[in-house]
Amino acid sequence: MKEKLQTKGHITADSVSIVFDSVGKRNVAVDDASVDIQPGEFVCILGPSGCGKSTLLNAIAGFVQPTQGELTLDGRTIKSPGPDRGMVFQQHSLLPWKTVLQNVAFGPLMNNTGQREADSVARTFLNLVGLGAFESHYPRQLSGGMQQRVGIARALANYPNVLLMDEPFGALDAQTRAIMQENLLNIWEEFKTTVVFVTHDIDEAVFLSDRVVVMSASPGTIIADIKIDLPRPRDALIVTSPEFLDLKRQCLDIIREETTKAFALQNAS
Amino acid sequence: MWYRYWLHHINADRVAQVLSIPLFLLLWQWVSASGVVSSRLFPPPTEVISAFGRWYDSGQFWGDVQVSLTRVGIGFFFGSVIGILVGILTGRVRLAANLLSPIFGLLRPIPPIAFVPLVILWFGLSETGKYFLVFWGVFFVVWMSAHHGVRKVDPLYIRVAQCLGTPRSKMLTNILLPGAIPYIIVGLRTAVSISFYTLVAAEIAGTFSGIFYRIDVSQQNMQIGQAMAGLLVLGVISLIADRLFYYLSRRVDWSAS
Repeated sequence: MKEKLQTKGHITADSVSIVFDSVGKRNVAVDDASVDIQPGEFVCILGPSGCGKSTLLNAIAGFVQPTQGELTLDGRTIKSPGPDRGMVFQQHSLLPWKTVLQNVAFGPLMNNTGQREADSVARTFLNLVGLGAFESHYPRQLSGGMQQRVGIARALANYPNVLLMDEPFGALDAQTRAIMQENLLNIWEEFKTTVVFVTHDIDEAVFLSDRVVVMSASPGTIIADIKIDLPRPRDALIVTSPEFLDLKRQCLDIIREETTKAFALQNAS
Repeated sequence: MWYRYWLHHINADRVAQVLSIPLFLLLWQWVSASGVVSSRLFPPPTEVISAFGRWYDSGQFWGDVQVSLTRVGIGFFFGSVIGILVGILTGRVRLAANLLSPIFGLLRPIPPIAFVPLVILWFGLSETGKYFLVFWGVFFVVWMSAHHGVRKVDPLYIRVAQCLGTPRSKMLTNILLPGAIPYIIVGLRTAVSISFYTLVAAEIAGTFSGIFYRIDVSQQNMQIGQAMAGLLVLGVISLIADRLFYYLSRRVDWSAS
């Protein structure tokens, strides 16, 4: 399975622009973004709030269509959401009327897997995220971090080629977030799915990814694509290494330059 | 003092709640016996109790309860099932909403009791007319709750389901209906009370048994004690139905903590 997954999950964005028309006002969320994400690659999209990074992710998920340009997955144009792209949402995305097990088994069940088989797949992934003992709990009985782990298990239960993550740890406290990041890397090492991870946290982006794609706000353009060649497997201590700090400084410099420009522009107008 | 300890631990709220109904009955008894009002028109609780005893002993009581509950039950069942189905339809299909909402908006404010004369013409003295009136009362409130319920389902849940590969044909039963359950339950619970209001309209004319029929007949015979006993029975049954529904609904209402 490892081999199969590593050859799939190739995402390309070719001059993608996404424009929303709201009450006579044109809002350019993504402007002429091009990016090529290799199968099995872990890519973070880093940018300030409102820079269009989530919109780009939603377009890869198939929820919004590019106004211009083309998005493809393994050579085929993305037209709608599908089980080949698992998504982990910001928070509160578990179905509250289903138990933890039912939430994770839901994907396989919707894709014509029998109940028994779906439950067994769900248990496998719940054990993977360390929540096997909580299968009969309801989402509201779990902490925020546990809910997100269930969310990851649910996304993986369809064996997707791509894992899309929209600031999945943004609502968690710093300690929980650090543990979640390490867990996510362990899971990714095992499955080697392509991961597109949206965040505004520089440390998180550098710690997790092979590449950091930096976006700037209004209009949302890609302003840098930084290779993160830190050795793997990584642990929490790597954040104090000179290499990590150097990469972090690169990202900071680019973002600061952009922010200053944006502020100057706002003051001028 | 030995009772200080107990005084300290008595919950004033609880005491007031426990005394509420006995105090009310005492006051009622006193007003009725004092001669301020005519005890013939306003009999004391003791007389109401013995009137209830005579009703019970006559063998008519259980028959009346059964007939009334059947009317409420059948009208409520069809009103809610059809209300939920039509609500889902108008909530999801724009054409259905545009076609039906104006009609329902026009019919909904008509009080069911206003239909009584026509219902007697249409359905005669049959039970169908009674079911129809209860149905009429229940349908609109359940329809509205289902209509709004399926519209207010968190769009995030729909996205989640799409992402997991849920086909459109499975969206209704897996996401929309469970998502709308909290709204629908509020509508159904309101409908439980409404079905007892409309029962009164249904038993105003054209029937020979039922709780409200008994109240009506007692009034004509100046058996005020029995009429009041009928009112209390109606209140108690309605209360039990409401509590029972609340208890049962908590098992399916995922939003209840």
